[in-house]
Amino acid sequence: METETQPAPAQTPSTALHPALAGPASPARAASSNRQRFQALVKQWQSEKGASSSITEMSMLPAYQKIIGMGEDAIPLILAQLKSEGDEPEQWFWALRSITDANPVKPEDRGDFQAMARAWLIWGDKEGYAG
Amino acid sequence: MPGSWTADEFPGLTDSSSQITSPATRRYNCIAWAAKDDRRWWWPDPFEIGYWPIPVNNRSVTLAGFVEAFISLGYKLSTGGELEPNTEKIAIYGIDCPGGQATPTHAARQLPSGDWTSKLGSFEDITHTTPEAVNGPIYGHVMAFMSRPRN
Repeated sequence: METETQPAPAQTPSTALHPALAGPASPARAASSNRQRFQALVKQWQSEKGASSSITEMSMLPAYQKIIGMGEDAIPLILAQLKSEGDEPEQWFWALRSITDANPVKPEDRGDFQAMARAWLIWGDKEGYAG
Repeated sequence: MPGSWTADEFPGLTDSSSQITSPATRRYNCIAWAAKDDRRWWWPDPFEIGYWPIPVNNRSVTLAGFVEAFISLGYKLSTGGELEPNTEKIAIYGIDCPGGQATPTHAARQLPSGDWTSKLGSFEDITHTTPEAVNGPIYGHVMAFMSRPRN
């Protein structure tokens, strides 16, 4: 007995395609996703570094390395984080140097995280990363 | 003790062996605090992010590098951490690495009372009764004592 083949119902692209085939997310959605990921990594890093004094060690921790791995997408997020930390900036300088190859900090300001944060925020303004 | 650290990080810090003396801050770290600088973070990292008191081309995260930094501040190697009249001492801590090397992790400074003062990374400043009180998985143990005349 022959069976009648029914035509498949029409599907909208959003339900028919696997997410991996759905193409790039919108820029706004990607930015929001990056922000969420960055904030999660910041929390993870702050927990991982504990009482470490070593700039080298804290910069090699997995969460910090993942932030560096975000590349240029991380720059405005790091600068916004630095700005939000006010007079108690975290050590985001290794990440900024790694990603940008820039070094706007004067030699006499090394170790002075407040002065270093100011230098990087001015650099960010000049480079168009102001958020 | 209601500090920012966990008991696992510093098993030797108890209410009887230590006391918090200032709030947590990221402005300076233990090496700076041992050197009496409460404005900068001292570390000889390759990106020159931290302050270091000796020329940039001699920055190295080794026990010898840390000893050299404190020599530049007038300290000499010392045999122990006992309180001595008119003498200021520091202890440099580290973690043993394979091959006999050591990675420096921390420094503490002896107070005129004989107690020690430490800044725990970006956490609080504390006093502790013995140098060994901050031994543990984070800072390892004392690798060297150094001393200089107390001003």
